[in-house]
Amino acid sequence: MSGPMLIDAQARERLSRFIAAAADAKGVTIATLEPLRGGAIQENWAVDIDIDGGARAGRHALVLRSDARSRVAASHGRAQEFALLRAAHAAGVTVPEPLWLCTDPAVLGRSFYLMRRIPGVAAGHRVVKDTALGGPRDALAERLGRELARIHTITPRTMGTLAPGASFEFLGPASATPGLDRVRLYRGYLDDLAARRPVLEWGLRWLELNARPVESVTLVHQDFRTGNYLVDTGGLTAILDWEFCAWGDPMSDIGWFCARCWRFGANDREAGGIAGRAPFYRGYESASGRKIDAAAVRYGEIAAHVRWAVIALQQAARHLSGEEPSLELALTGRIVPELELEILNLVDAAGPDRAA
Amino acid sequence: MIADQPDGAALLAEARRTLLEVLLPLLPPERRYDALMVANAMAIAAREFGAGDETLRGSLAKILDVTCGGAGQMADLEARLAQQIRAGQYDTGNDRDAVRGYLRAVTVARVRVSNPKLLGE
Repeated sequence: MSGPMLIDAQARERLSRFIAAAADAKGVTIATLEPLRGGAIQENWAVDIDIDGGARAGRHALVLRSDARSRVAASHGRAQEFALLRAAHAAGVTVPEPLWLCTDPAVLGRSFYLMRRIPGVAAGHRVVKDTALGGPRDALAERLGRELARIHTITPRTMGTLAPGASFEFLGPASATPGLDRVRLYRGYLDDLAARRPVLEWGLRWLELNARPVESVTLVHQDFRTGNYLVDTGGLTAILDWEFCAWGDPMSDIGWFCARCWRFGANDREAGGIAGRAPFYRGYESASGRKIDAAAVRYGEIAAHVRWAVIALQQAARHLSGEEPSLELALTGRIVPELELEILNLVDAAGPDRAA
Repeated sequence: MIADQPDGAALLAEARRTLLEVLLPLLPPERRYDALMVANAMAIAAREFGAGDETLRGSLAKILDVTCGGAGQMADLEARLAQQIRAGQYDTGNDRDAVRGYLRAVTVARVRVSNPKLLGE
């Protein structure tokens, strides 16, 4: 495991020269550079810079995002995330404007990119509890529905024009049976972990028997949920965390957003713990022109709990293997039973298997 | 081994009380979450001391039609059940309800250890 990145005086100098060249400026002064609390997969720094000359002359508040510590299976690297952000920004999704990508390890030792720093709070528990954040809740849910609809306008066909020059081969081919692909993927993960989880197998078997071909394959965010968007007192300020994007069934993102495990205890507010489903669905349907299919969303919610349980087992394994001793990772392993309980409830509520 | 008094569970309970009532108020706000995680881990461990799975093991052995062996057998039996579910053995048939009942019972027992608040008990 490598620790947090160290940025000494020489690295600062290399960073300012990189930005000056990328921004076509005479020079760049770094006013502040401070680590932000980041995730387990990447590392974020707050950077304030003064650009001298060029089209972007002036003071800029930015975030520098680099790879950090151990990678999680299926998460994209920073260069790929930068390409996704460019496409999302061009598609009109509310994201921090992506500015410059650096893949030259000579600058900071790791790939990184810079984007605008957006004010706001993301922490799920706070967003759910503190109603002063995010503005009126129905309006926030409706806005999030519209944002998700915009993400789903990105298709294998439009991707190239949204971010010219970027390669999206890392997203793989667009499959017409993303549900069955995921079942195979998660079974493989469980086997890799030598995990014996009959309830997860019960859920996976249901997902296998009830999978349906998808009419339109789009970009899916795969982590669009409360906790991964920024709000301030006025409302939504940015959609974050693009590292799990894939081609898939747009309804799977709706299922993930509404899944009980992402309501942060506010279970009666089924759209991400912030509002009922109606305003969220309304925003999505009006912006996408696509009707929300209740059965497909229910499928997505079962898939969401299975996926989160598999990821939780992977995180616990990072602790158990000694690779990354961490109380947080260890405790994540113990949320699996409550996810399993919800899988049983949802499968029971869904009725008999189609093949039965 | 006969445990001396106070036993492990009692020590853990007192340690957790000390953490939450004495130490937590002294911690800087950015370390609060760590302390709450420690308290949660201690609570799970304390509940796990008291949890037994003999009944569950018995009903699982019955479903799989094997003799109920020692405590170490649970993991093997669950591995077998997991495999059979994946292969579709309980998609239909008389055993489906027995398996569903077992899965719910064992999951509730695990949630009772990991997060009993969820069960409203």
